[in-house]
Amino acid sequence: MLVNDVVLAAEGDTAAFERVYQAHMPRIFNLARRMAGPDAADELTQDVFVRVWQKLALFRGESSFATWLHRLAVNVIIERFRTLGTARQRFLADGEAALEVAPATRTKHLDLSMDLQAAIEQLPPGARTVFVLHDVEGYRHEEIGTLLGVSSGTSKSQLHRARQTLRGLLTKQA
Amino acid sequence: MNEDRRFGESDHEPLEPDDILARAIGSWREETPSRDLWPGVSARLNAPGVGRRRQIALTLPQLAMAASLLIAVASGVTWLAARPQAPAGVQQTVVVAESEPGGRVQGDVLNANFADAQFDAAVVDLERILRDERDRLDPRTVLVIERNLRIIDDAIREARTALDGDPANTYLNSHLADARRRKLELLRHATTLASAGGD
Repeated sequence: MLVNDVVLAAEGDTAAFERVYQAHMPRIFNLARRMAGPDAADELTQDVFVRVWQKLALFRGESSFATWLHRLAVNVIIERFRTLGTARQRFLADGEAALEVAPATRTKHLDLSMDLQAAIEQLPPGARTVFVLHDVEGYRHEEIGTLLGVSSGTSKSQLHRARQTLRGLLTKQA
Repeated sequence: MNEDRRFGESDHEPLEPDDILARAIGSWREETPSRDLWPGVSARLNAPGVGRRRQIALTLPQLAMAASLLIAVASGVTWLAARPQAPAGVQQTVVVAESEPGGRVQGDVLNANFADAQFDAAVVDLERILRDERDRLDPRTVLVIERNLRIIDDAIREARTALDGDPANTYLNSHLADARRRKLELLRHATTLASAGGD
């Protein structure tokens, strides 16, 4: 039924598009929350679905709709980082600097899930993006490099440092 | 890359199950928005400026134009590799791309038709637009564009390398300026094509 809804939505049926939205919104919202933080998640989720509406006619079924949507959402979120002035160099250079100074004073949290959310929000955008895409969403370094416009080596180093920083923060909190 | 050597393939390995990070990710709860986001989406669907896109493809004449560009650039590169050195003392005057001001004049040679920073900034902007809009183009069109861009980039790289050893060379300077102009034209053409797919 959802496949039919995608087809109908592509033809301009907003009721069908709302069903597509309801089916996929939770995953996109959580992706946005993890990549950009809870404060930006609502607006980014809306931006993603407006973009989906604009581009739905281009979906040719070469991958699953969920895969196409996910990739589009990642692009919208990365684009937002760039629009906010996080140019490529700074996007990654800030990560190098900020990861060196992981905060040491944290209060004890209730569980690992909350701890991870709090810890990841302390990462700079570049490192957070690489960590979420690689370790949470399962992207390969080559794919991340393509998405961010950096080498896969840069993606690897960002992930390495992000993991170390997050482990340090989580261990302190445990 | 240094990072490749430093970290090797280890980062391709998944996290160990007993890694505190793996456990944290495993327990990372899904959340739902605190408010209904659909009204905000719905209100924007038919707003001015939110046009729906359609896929476009290059026409045969456009593909032919791209192919001729490919041949022209490739011929330039071949000629550059094969040409003999100009005799010493022979001075040539080259006029390039009057529409692109900002080039530095050295003797009778116009080194580049606009500054490196301007060129690089324009290329970065156009490449970003093309990357964002590439799925509006037919994959065959994207292939032709990417192939042409690679050839032009090779020509630019070769010309720059040659200029390192012969900075005042008239032909090399005009060839570099021409290749850069062609790259900008191709990127502008491609992004215009992609943008024209919207309503």
